[in-house]
This record gives sequence, C-alpha cells and structure tokens, in this order.
Amino acid sequence: MKSLDPRVSRLPETGNSSPKVPLDQFGTFEVFVQPKEGKPFQHEGIVHAPNLEMAYVLAKEAFTRRFTCISIFVTETRNVYVSALTDGDEDAYDHVTKVASTSGKETFEIFHLLKRGKQHQHVGKVEAGSHNEALWVASQQLRGNKQVFNIWAIKTSGIRFTKQEDLDLWNTLGEKKFRDAAAYKGGDKLKSFLEKTAQQ
Amino acid sequence: MYGGGNTFEGIKSDELTGEDPVKLAEFEARIERGEKIEPSDWMPKLYRKQLIRMIEQHAHSEIIGALPEGTWITRAPGFKRKMALMAKVQDEVGHGQLLYSAAETLGKSREAMIDDLINGKSKYSNIFNYPTFTWADCCFISWLVDAGAIVNQLANAKGSYGPYCRALDRICAEESFHLKYGHHCVIYLASGTQKQRDMFQEALNRWWPPMMHFFGPSDKISVHTEILMKWKVKMGTNDDMRNQFLDMYVPKIWELGFTIPDPNLKKNTETGRWDYTEPDWEEFKRVINGDGPCNSERLEVRRIAEERGRWVREALRTAKTEYVTPLA
Amino acid sequence: MNNEALKELLYKMADDQLILGHRNSEWTGFGPLLEEDIAFSSMAQDKVGHSLALYTILQELGEQDPDTVAFTRNAEQFHNSLLTELPNGEYDFSLIRHFLYDTAEALRFEMLTQSSFEPLAQLSAKIRGELRYHTMHANTWIKQLGSATTESITRLQKSLEYALPYALGMFEKSPFENALISEGIFAGEQVLEDKWKRKVEEVLAQTQLQLPAWDTITPHLGGRVGKHTEHLQPLLDEMSEVLRIDPTAEW
Repeated sequence: MKSLDPRVSRLPETGNSSPKVPLDQFGTFEVFVQPKEGKPFQHEGIVHAPNLEMAYVLAKEAFTRRFTCISIFVTETRNVYVSALTDGDEDAYDHVTKVASTSGKETFEIFHLLKRGKQHQHVGKVEAGSHNEALWVASQQLRGNKQVFNIWAIKTSGIRFTKQEDLDLWNTLGEKKFRDAAAYKGGDKLKSFLEKTAQQ
Repeated sequence: MYGGGNTFEGIKSDELTGEDPVKLAEFEARIERGEKIEPSDWMPKLYRKQLIRMIEQHAHSEIIGALPEGTWITRAPGFKRKMALMAKVQDEVGHGQLLYSAAETLGKSREAMIDDLINGKSKYSNIFNYPTFTWADCCFISWLVDAGAIVNQLANAKGSYGPYCRALDRICAEESFHLKYGHHCVIYLASGTQKQRDMFQEALNRWWPPMMHFFGPSDKISVHTEILMKWKVKMGTNDDMRNQFLDMYVPKIWELGFTIPDPNLKKNTETGRWDYTEPDWEEFKRVINGDGPCNSERLEVRRIAEERGRWVREALRTAKTEYVTPLA
Repeated sequence: MNNEALKELLYKMADDQLILGHRNSEWTGFGPLLEEDIAFSSMAQDKVGHSLALYTILQELGEQDPDTVAFTRNAEQFHNSLLTELPNGEYDFSLIRHFLYDTAEALRFEMLTQSSFEPLAQLSAKIRGELRYHTMHANTWIKQLGSATTESITRLQKSLEYALPYALGMFEKSPFENALISEGIFAGEQVLEDKWKRKVEEVLAQTQLQLPAWDTITPHLGGRVGKHTEHLQPLLDEMSEVLRIDPTAEW
C-alpha cells in the first residue's frame, strides 16, 4: 500500500481470510492497582487475556505506565462475586443475610464501593466457605461507619498478586519524565520568541 | 482524541414507548441528582443504544487516531520528540482499550466493535481521514486536535454513565501531557527557522477546515438530541464545543504569529461568540461517508493489523477462560 | 580506566537499544491485540530511553551530544548487532527477537551492576525493574505461543531458526575484551553468552520449540565493527528524515 507512513508502505498484503469465528475474544480480567504505600488497592479496569499470568503481564503496562504505582493484582471477572448495588441511604450490607457456616474455609478479599460513580477499594480479607458467607463475615468484620453501595468478594486463590521479587517493576516510573506534561514547558522559549517578534 | 461530531442517529418517536414509566422516572431522577448510572442499573434501551454508539465511536477514533500521528513515529526529530511521540501514540491505543472496555459494560464485545469498524458499519472521528504530509501536520494533531478532544472529553466526563466517565477521567489526565507536548513542538517550529515556520503555517492551512468539522455539524442542521442532553449522554452542543475551543486556542495560535485561513474568523463582541465562515458540511458528510483522502487506507491498515494478528489471537484462545462482560 | 574500551562497550550497547527500540516502535498501532500493542510500545520506549542514558554517559566521556550521535551517523559508524536491525517481519519473528535479545539485555545489565565503571553500574541497577518486566513479558509470551497451536509453534520455530545465528552475533567479541575484563568494567562476551545460552535453554524447554545444537549454528557477525545488513542504512535515513531537513534547527 502506498502511504505517507513508511511503516504502512512496508505492510504485507493480506487477503481476506474465510469468515472468522465469531467471539474469539478471550477472557475478561479485572485489574487492581495500589498507587502508593498505605493506600488500598483500587479497581482500575479490565484487560482481555487467555489466562491469569498473561492478564498480569498485559495489565501492568495497560494500567500502570503513567501514574504512581507500587503493586497490582488481577483476577478473572468470573471470580468476582458482586452484591446488590444500592442507592440513597440504603447500605449494600443491609441486603446481606446470615449464611450457615460451612467447612472448608477459604480466604476472600473484600472490596467496598463508597460512592456511586467511583471505584471499588480493597478493605480486607475474610475466611469463609462460600462467596455468600464471605459477604456475611465481611458484614460482621469489615463494615465500617461509612455507607457502602456495593461489595465485591474475590477468592484470594484466584488472584495473581505481585510477587515479592517483582516489586521493583515500578522503580523507574517516576523517572520517565518524557511522559509528563511538566517536561514540556515552552514558556521561556515562547517568551523570548515574543520579545523578538515585538522588536521587529 | 474525539470531537463528538455526528455521533447520534436521529431518534425515532417510538423508541421510548414500551419503557416502564416508573423505572424511567427513577432513572431520570438519578441523572437529575447528578448520580452516575452503573452497568447493573436499569436503563432505557435508547440510552444503552446511543451510549454504545457514542463510546464505540470514541474508541475507534483513538485506534484510528493513532495512525496519522503514527505516520511520523519512526521519524520524530531527536530523542525528546521520539520518546514523546512513541508514548503519545501508545496512549491513544491505551485510550482505545479503556473506551472499548467501557462500551463492553453495556453488552457489546470489543471484537464485535472492531468488526463493525473494519466493515464500515460504525464511524470514527472524521479528522483522522486526512493525511499528515509533514512533521508539522503531526504537531498540529498533537497540539490542536488533542486540544479539541480535551474540550469534548472534559465535558463528557461529567456525563451520566459511570464506566465512560471513569475512563474519561483517566484519559483526560493522560492527555495533559499530549497537549503540552504538542504546544511545545509548535512553539519550537514557530520560533525556529523560516522553513520550520512555513511548515507549520502550511499544516495549519490544511488542517483548519477539518478542525472546524471536528466538533460536528452546526446546531442548526444537526439531529435533535434534547433527550440525550437531558440524559447527560451528550454534554454540550456542537457549536458550544467549537466555540469553547476557539476561545481557548485561537489566541494561542495568533500569539505564535500564524495566520488562521479564515478571513471571517473573529470574536463577536456583541454575542461573545466566534464568527467564522460556515464550514463545508457537504465535504464533512462526504468524508464521513467514506470519501475522504485517507478513509480507505485507515480501514485497510486496521484490517491488515487484525488479519496479521489473527494467528496470535487464535493461539491464545483456550477453553479455560471465556469472554464475559466487564463489571464496571 | 581504558576509555577506548569503555566507549566501545557503551556504543554497542547504546546502538543496540536504539535500533531495536526503533524497530519495535514500528508495531505501535499495528499490534495483534490492544493490550499487547501497549506493552510492546512501553518496552520500545524503555530501550530508546536506555540508549539515551548510555549516549549521555558517552557525552560525559567526551563524545558528541546524544541527538547528534544517534541521528547523524551512518550505518558503518553504528555498532549494534545485526539482530536488532532486521525488519520486524511478522509478530512471530518480533517476539522471538524480543525474547532472544531481551534475555541477553537483562543478563548484560545484571553483570554490569558489578562494573568498576560507576555510572554504568548505577544505570544498570536503576533499570533492573524495567528489564525484569521485559524478560517476564518475553518468557510469558514464548511459553504461551510456543506450546499453543500448530501454527503458532511452527511460526515460532521457523523464526527461532532464522534468528539464532544473528542472536549469537550479539556476543561478537570486542578487540578490548581483555582490557574490559581485567579492569573490571565488564566480565566479557563469553561469560554473557554462556549465561544467555543456559537461560534460553531453560525457557525453551518449557515449550514445544526445538533448540538446535549450539555448535550447529554459525553466528552472523560484523555488526559490532560496522559491517551491517542492507537494512540499517534505510532505517537510519528514515529515523533522521525530519532532523536532516535542518540539523542545526531546534525541533
């Protein structure tokens, strides 16, 4: 293809292959980011990937190339158990009912939505035998003074966390100034240009 | 980068019949209170349809918008420009990723959207159908097309749909680098050699008409969108957005000593709005319907990219995961 | 310290990073999936950033400024390995090259954290996290596609066999090898090559790809002494097209 873009001019010709298989897009994974020490992990969005490890690798640059980050984790969307979404002064925990405790406890990570329109934040973990029980235990252990509009419970075993040895992945984030508006201060150049043209 | 031009289909009078009046009233009251609508909330079918259409067009505009600037990605002059342009074009792709995800929460898969882009069923911002002949064209986009997009996106970020607003908050924060970088590039061309100044003046001459088109047809001739304004899907009229852009950027262009190729362009002291030569809306329609200088190349590049990436995606498909709609 | 030896080392590293970063940036907007498009671009930016850091060290040693060095030299003045200048081909080749190159990149910088030349040791320590991501990314993809479909395995295998002779060219010995080693600047190409081979073997063993016996591969040499393929000069011409309109202008 002849183009102004030398990269496009180099593209190979490809025919139209036979009708594609519909919906060949792979799984959906939710991405959580911890912006700095002492701040909770917050939901940031999704990536599509074939498995948890690929999701982690792809999420890292999709969500943490620009703003401060010290750690991320990802989990498959199917692993997120979602409570009712409430509004007004109704608390999502008001809809959580007691569930008989079962054996075979697992750890769940609990997330709260404190304001409609904002993002879910990690508040802690609970031990429970099911997602439903996790919400009940969370209502006993993690419910604070603030109204909660929505609760997520995620099985910890289904999460790809950042490993200890990978904590330096974000070490140079603050030094990549070329991605910062602050690196493009044209003020002085503009000023001297204006002074020069004013004299002419 | 997105200007909001010609986003909406005409709305048929019967599209709201059949909606539960109680739910509709609750939905409208929520928007009236300034609360966001979330994917699990009830919403009218028309709201869903128009939002998908708008967010999808916005996402396509990012992906296609990566191409005209990408034209110069291998030729940016010097390290500072090279690294910035790489990061900027990457951001456009990243914005596409965020916006497709937001649209997906409404029930259309990314793959279906990309299919519709390639087969011409859905649109993207008209401005990316114009060629970037020189480095200065690339600088025009980095500065002024991004500036126009930010005007639009800042307004839309105050809209009613939660996932779209959150994506836009993130995008606007990233765009502040784009805008500064673009302005920086143009200041350097303006204060440089005569050749550099001429390059930018020529780019400005080429890009001004599509820039005026960018915000969509004049309110006098655009489809009625009152209901979408009420639902905070559309956050300002095309003319308001265009006027806001002119207010902010015409003085900055003039400051650098460039001539905007419209003899009628001036601020009307009585109305407080800008007077300008009415853009050629026939050309706008022609280009958006496929007959612009680069429409076929843009779609062909996307088609080839999809085709070349197909074996990768097929190899990654596994039975262990399946596509589901994102949560938020 | 042997400045000549040091400069030779810095130039070949900087040129490698610049040329491959440039090549990889050609994928931006054309990648096989959006998330990967973004990830691959970030790593290209890292590489160009590393080249800038290395050219800046060279400038402190008396060489010209980074823009002049990177954008105005001709092909025969470049010391990058031939592997980095080859056209991108399809994604299989780009990924295989990324894997082979970035494995060496990470090991080289890891070795250089021990360098007696302080600026290089500091830079190497600083970018460790970036390099960790590069190898994590490469290994994850190679493991995934190297054991997926017949097509993906066949493609990767073919690209691997094509790339390996060029990859061995990365370790072309410098005339200053002994000086670098004896002064503790760098432990040498041989040590690096051995470490690299072990690492490549380890990752490929987790795939269905077949690694040919090392002694059956003849390295493609020449890049380190300015003898390049026909692909480098056009790359440089393209890279400097705007700058050359007026090299004395500020862009």
